Amino acid sequence: MPLSTQSHVRDEHYVLAASLDNVRNLSNILKAIAFKEHAFFNATANGLKVTVENSKCVQANAFIQAEIFQEFTIHEDSVNFQVNLTVLLDCLTIFGASTVPGVATALRMCYSGYGYPLTLFLEEGGVVTVCKINTQEPEEPIDFEFCSTNVINKVILQSDSLREAFSELDMTSEILQITMSPSQPYFRLSTFGNSGSAHYDYPKDSDMMELFQCTKTQTNRYKMSLLKPSTKALSLSCKVSVRTDNQGFLSLQYLVRNDDGQICFVEYYCCPDEEVED
Amino acid sequence: MKCIFEGARVKVFGRAVHALSRISDEFWLDPLSKGLALRSVNSSHSAYACFLFPPLFFQSYHPISGLSQDATDGKCKLAVKSLLPLFRCVPTADRSEEMCQISTSPQDNRVVFKLACKHGIIKTYKLAFRECEVLQAVFPAHQCPNVLKAQASLLGDMVMHFPVSQEEVTLSVSPKRVMLRNYCEDKMDQMKAMSTELSLQPEEFDCFQVAVSSDITFCLKELRGVLSFAESHGLPVSMHFGCPGKPVCFSVEDVSLEVTVVLSTLTDPSQTTEPEVPPAPSCDVSMTLHHGSAVENLTEHVTHALLNGEQVPSSQGSSIFSGLDYLGRVASLRVASIDPGDSNAEGCWTLDPGSQTTPKVCSVLFGSVSGQQVGGRTPPHASLVCASDTDEDTEEERALPIPRH
Repeated sequence: MPLSTQSHVRDEHYVLAASLDNVRNLSNILKAIAFKEHAFFNATANGLKVTVENSKCVQANAFIQAEIFQEFTIHEDSVNFQVNLTVLLDCLTIFGASTVPGVATALRMCYSGYGYPLTLFLEEGGVVTVCKINTQEPEEPIDFEFCSTNVINKVILQSDSLREAFSELDMTSEILQITMSPSQPYFRLSTFGNSGSAHYDYPKDSDMMELFQCTKTQTNRYKMSLLKPSTKALSLSCKVSVRTDNQGFLSLQYLVRNDDGQICFVEYYCCPDEEVED
Repeated sequence: MKCIFEGARVKVFGRAVHALSRISDEFWLDPLSKGLALRSVNSSHSAYACFLFPPLFFQSYHPISGLSQDATDGKCKLAVKSLLPLFRCVPTADRSEEMCQISTSPQDNRVVFKLACKHGIIKTYKLAFRECEVLQAVFPAHQCPNVLKAQASLLGDMVMHFPVSQEEVTLSVSPKRVMLRNYCEDKMDQMKAMSTELSLQPEEFDCFQVAVSSDITFCLKELRGVLSFAESHGLPVSMHFGCPGKPVCFSVEDVSLEVTVVLSTLTDPSQTTEPEVPPAPSCDVSMTLHHGSAVENLTEHVTHALLNGEQVPSSQGSSIFSGLDYLGRVASLRVASIDPGDSNAEGCWTLDPGSQTTPKVCSVLFGSVSGQQVGGRTPPHASLVCASDTDEDTEEERALPIPRH
């Protein structure tokens, strides 16, 4: 049930005001990228983009379009702030994580600009919680400069098949090697652990493979510890696109359907592991 | 060595690997002319398991590959944990592995497991191995005086009553009955632990051959893996054993596989001299178990010598609860307080107050209920139902206050 706002008059003071009938449409997506404490929020007329980074090597972005929100009002071209994502998620799930059908927690998120806290109004069954989270100095996330023109290889897979592979990955392996090629083995995930190597091959004509566009054989290695958090996004998604560019940078894009069937995107960028010559 | 097997056989192989993982962290892959043997021995060499897959199991089976005719060719030791993710026994229809190929390449010391799955996905595991001599238990099962054979489901139902943490159990056989109870090494632990004991009649078994009455104590934990393997394939399990101290052999056989588990048994002499039966009259509280349509008679004997008279500091000087004492005392109570009509409330309680000899109850579980010994009689507890007003029990009640050591 939509939350009746405290006072419409006060809206003018907010540079950003967004409402959701079901807060899970936001919290679930944010959980998929919550591998670090802090997140950078960038709101534009298109919607909300939340970014989390780790060691300047991996970056996760969650896109929640304006259409997902019941109300999305923005009074500036771009509103940026940084908050503690762990705290934000704790607030968004303050009424508990249970999913009783017909009962949803409503959210109203308001931000007055630099120096003001992020204000959340959460309501469930007539009970209202107000949270004010202090924002931090925003640190612009890295631009990985990953653009489609530089993409060498691209595949789109149904998430089910990749989920199985990711859940079986040998965690004693420091790296995950991804091979993409127009010829055998087409698309291969490899690990090199304590007891030996493991390879998962996906042929280009597999019915799990929705798109296969590989122009050149590429083998790149990525740190397992950086990619492991992407498993969360994988488990929420129904499709995933895997792309590598000329520098070996990896882009994983996940198509996620929320509780109401609307589409959101999560993407992970990861830079390749440089082999250190002993 | 190179072999290929398909379809449902992949699941069977996977379950065998999982059963072996309960014995040890490593196992041997031993390609023989009579089949592929997977063997495992635990660290203390007290448990050994062998799964033998004859050539019939495979689409194609080549134990000796290449030019090498060396006897040690192909024998290798692998870490079982590295193989488990490949054979995850997930009971979902989606996981239909279509084909598995195992090959060894001695040049680079690798065993290659290649699994072809649905949707054309191929999983390849190249595992490092160590070449070594294979340990094999030589156990003349045919020389054992006692042989029991039962459906795996029966054994599964028996061990189900023991907690997963239960390390050892004692199997007591005599020509008249079979009893399985948990084994506690430490007398003090015995006081605190839940005691479980169940008894079966020879008729339950497909084959019952007891030449020598004996009580053998062996490790249950290591056996569970193989028991669940046998249960999942609906196969009977044979037990060959003799006196305590001699190993016990469990075997499962089918056209396409042979499983052998050899476990050592305790030789502790004090175990066999524990008072099995209290001074006459015997605490012969007869109970009958309703299990589906089968009716099993349970005859209860006092088997554990519990220390009596010890005080529990925390409960203000009251004695330590003695489950068997309690049971004996409850035995003298009338059944009137329990409504026979309620017998099927839990699906398995049945009382036959009309019978003078055998009240029928279920599941002999001595709860660690902290019953206060107030005036010698305590009200019947819902979980311990057993009542008989036979003369035997009344006498036993009088005999109870005598402390036993």
